[in-house]
Amino acid sequence: MSRHLSPRDIDWTVLIIALFLCAVGALQIYSATRDTEFQSSWWKQIVYVLGGLLLMWIASAVDYHTLLHWVPAMYAGSVLALLVTYVVGERVYGSRRWIPLGAGIHLEVSEFVKLVIILLVARYLADLKTDVLEIREVLKLAGLVAIPAVLVLKQPDLGTSVSYLAVLIAGAFLAGLRWRYVAAIAVVAVIVVPVGWQHFLTDYQKARLVSFMDPERDPQGKGYQLIQSQIAVGSGGMFGKGVTKGTQTQLRFLPVPHKDFIFSAFAEEHGFAGVVVLLALFFVLIMRVVQNAQTAPDRAGMYICMGVASLLLYHALVNVGMVVGLMPVTGIPLPFMSYGGSSIWTDFLALGLVNNVRLRRFVN
Amino acid sequence: MVDRRLAWLAGIVLIWGAAIFFKIISLQVVHHQEYSKLATERQVVAVEIPAPRGTIFDRTGQPLAMSVPTESVSIDPLRAPDLGVASELLALVLHMDRATLYGKMKWAHDNHHGFLWVKRKIGYQEAQNLRNLRLEWIHIQDESQRHYPKGTLAAHVLGSVDFEERGNAGIEQVLDAELRGQPGQARMLTDVKRRGIDSQSSTDARPGTPITLTIDERLQFVAEREIAAAVEAHHAQSGSVVVMNPYNGEILALASYPTYDPNLPPQPGEDKASRLNHAISVPFEPGSVFKVITLSAALETTDLQPTSMINCLRGAITLFGRTIHEAHGGYGTIPMAMVLAKSSNIGAIQIGMRVGQANMHEYVRKFGFGQKSGIPLPGESGGKVRQLARWSKASLPSMSMGQEISVTTLQLAQAAAVVANGGLLVKPRLVSKKGNQTVPTEQPVRVLKPETAITMRQMMEGVVMPGGTGTRARLQGYTSGGKTGSAQIYDPVARHYTHSYNGSFMGFAPLTNPAMVAVVTLNGTHGTAGFGGLAAAPVFHAVLTEALRVLDVPKDLPDQTPTRTPVASSEEAADLAIADIGRGQPNILEDADEEEQPAAGQAERQTRVPHQPAGPTVPNFRGMTMRAVLAEAAAKGLTVLPDGSGVARVQNPPPGSTLHQGERIRVEFAR
Repeated sequence: MSRHLSPRDIDWTVLIIALFLCAVGALQIYSATRDTEFQSSWWKQIVYVLGGLLLMWIASAVDYHTLLHWVPAMYAGSVLALLVTYVVGERVYGSRRWIPLGAGIHLEVSEFVKLVIILLVARYLADLKTDVLEIREVLKLAGLVAIPAVLVLKQPDLGTSVSYLAVLIAGAFLAGLRWRYVAAIAVVAVIVVPVGWQHFLTDYQKARLVSFMDPERDPQGKGYQLIQSQIAVGSGGMFGKGVTKGTQTQLRFLPVPHKDFIFSAFAEEHGFAGVVVLLALFFVLIMRVVQNAQTAPDRAGMYICMGVASLLLYHALVNVGMVVGLMPVTGIPLPFMSYGGSSIWTDFLALGLVNNVRLRRFVN
Repeated sequence: MVDRRLAWLAGIVLIWGAAIFFKIISLQVVHHQEYSKLATERQVVAVEIPAPRGTIFDRTGQPLAMSVPTESVSIDPLRAPDLGVASELLALVLHMDRATLYGKMKWAHDNHHGFLWVKRKIGYQEAQNLRNLRLEWIHIQDESQRHYPKGTLAAHVLGSVDFEERGNAGIEQVLDAELRGQPGQARMLTDVKRRGIDSQSSTDARPGTPITLTIDERLQFVAEREIAAAVEAHHAQSGSVVVMNPYNGEILALASYPTYDPNLPPQPGEDKASRLNHAISVPFEPGSVFKVITLSAALETTDLQPTSMINCLRGAITLFGRTIHEAHGGYGTIPMAMVLAKSSNIGAIQIGMRVGQANMHEYVRKFGFGQKSGIPLPGESGGKVRQLARWSKASLPSMSMGQEISVTTLQLAQAAAVVANGGLLVKPRLVSKKGNQTVPTEQPVRVLKPETAITMRQMMEGVVMPGGTGTRARLQGYTSGGKTGSAQIYDPVARHYTHSYNGSFMGFAPLTNPAMVAVVTLNGTHGTAGFGGLAAAPVFHAVLTEALRVLDVPKDLPDQTPTRTPVASSEEAADLAIADIGRGQPNILEDADEEEQPAAGQAERQTRVPHQPAGPTVPNFRGMTMRAVLAEAAAKGLTVLPDGSGVARVQNPPPGSTLHQGERIRVEFAR
């Protein structure tokens, strides 16, 4: 830590791509919320992004080893905050996710907990200092992750809850979990989940489950949003209908087109060409994060970057998979694009962590 | 180790990403068309713009039927959050029964119907109240409602429409295609709540063609008022009036009573007769008015002249075993003009026999009987005229005085017009204009020589002159001609002629160059007061007096101070066509349609069921002195109207027939 840190050394590629995605997102939010009660969302989003840049700088300035040192405290604080959310959280569409902070600001604690999970996994795995991860250790770590995950699941918010697991699984896999355990977990997952889904649940229960998983975004029947979203994407065609010309979006057939379904709105208005560019940008962004993991000075830094990469990947793949109909409808925002202060700040804080590691890559 | 794991992780992610990417390709590139179509289906709603139904005007441009915009409420029961609350709310706003409404909504909901009419054609305030609720599952549609501003006026001509504004009676039905117009199509871009955002490529609604009728609202009003009053006064079952321009066939008024209000849908338990157009749909045996046709045929086919003397056999003729009497009294040898004026049955029979079956049949057909006139109204009857081959020996004398034939009031007007206009059969015309286009008229067909028609007119004037049967039809300031008729109504159930009558009058005014013909029919009158000369002629008088004044027809008689015009007594107006010559024959009204079943002749010759007398039986007074007659009548509680002196020669009703309630027996005495 002897070298001074230069802001010029941050990952400009990642930052520019992220800001570009934010700009596209803000434009899409503007287009999707014209003449609605959310029509001020686009400039609020810009304010959130500016705030996010500040947070990113803070998150990259404090040495990540210091951050890892405070993980137990952060973890305890997260669990406490989630419990508070559970008690005082405002119930919106049947789920408690937000802590009202007054002045109309609501904090979605579970978003920020993602970062704590990343740090938790990184510290735990780095401290092991072995190449082979024993199942015992995994179960311990899983136990730690499970507590906030269950609290989030109870909100209920399946998507965010699973995102914690995604970080855990990616970390455990990279930490050298034995193949037989990987295989066992994969087999159990592959067999139990679909078989249980197909044979032990009736259609009614499935519908109930889907609706239970995400009541907020499924007010009118589980298939409705998915169909509307697929129609929006499909009708966009090769070059899209143009900004503010997407009929599914503009005529409100598309649910929450500025939040979880912003990709559908984008795909409708910008077409396949726009989608390819967008997905390429996400790909480059994530690959850069992975590259930062590879150049990390220590295992902890590598796990932090890979945690961020897996978190972003999980969000991108689940969100896009959801809007095109490959994944169940769970409320997962698209990083940097979906409207929402908590998720934008979480994304920029995550980028801050990556830069934190990157800035210290030449430390001996 | 980590790098290998990383490669594995990258592999899994790539497979996952590739799956999503291929799905996107599938959606946006491969199946783009289908999804575009789906989007359009959801967003673009084809909206039918209702075309306003054409207005129906009378000849003076007064609207008789018009469409006014209104609104209807429907709901989407599947989207209503709570049926109980929803039904409560709607019932309150729309003043409906909550339980019934809830039942309907529940049914629709349980059967997954996403559409339910709640109330059609609601008031403005109700619609406004509903709109203020701003509930997305309530839909308020524009509709148009047919409105008949004059209420019952010309109801039978105009007809009515059903809930979908399709004509189901009258002109509304016959000219439905023209009146309805072409609904426009708008493709409306709607949002998820079905609110219209924008409308595209719409074809404009083509409004229905306005129809101008030949009806004159003022004449129609008078005709309806008078026939209603007459039907009520004479306790008749129904009545009808047709006023027609004899030259061009334009129907100036066509009234039927009882009537109905076309603004209201048919009520349960409503008298079906009220929706029946008696002027065109209900044929009847015309009785003595038909003598006009007999005499016209005689003028053309025989050497008979108005002055030709006809032997009326002093009131009785025996034909095929039956004795026919005059309605009243008896006549010796009188001129043919007098036969008409006095409505002598025997005279008419004598004349008819001279005309002969073939000529009679030919003229009956030429006058338009037995065929529909082709008036554009639904349910027109053509009446019945037996084919010549199926005539019995009794047919000719029967027909000569208007039996064995059934006609409609409209057909009589058409026939009267032949005499009035100088001998041309003019098809009645009801629709004068469709939009701006005048409906073409048909070429009239000559039926009578002009001189025959003129002669007939003069003879028909005799009917309304003192001494005729139709003096009550005589007009102030105008010459007129006409003919009365009273026909016993045949009871198809009991198979005999009853003592209720069809009283009718057909006539025209002024005598030369008549401006209009009018036919009045009262169905089911009772007693002598229900005879045509007493019941129908006053209606003719009232209607024509007003009609001639309204149409500014110049008077052709000097105005005279209203001296007490000699009013025909019931004896003078007696023109009853004695109905039972053809006894043993099936009645014309029972006949199947000739055109439809020409070969059914044999089967129809049924024997008549002997009727059970329902009232006192008429005794045989013949040969008795007046004193004896009166004594016997008093003993039996019967009223006798004696006439003449000496011994009873003729009586009506004939001996053995059943006397109707309140009916009197006319007995003529002669030395």
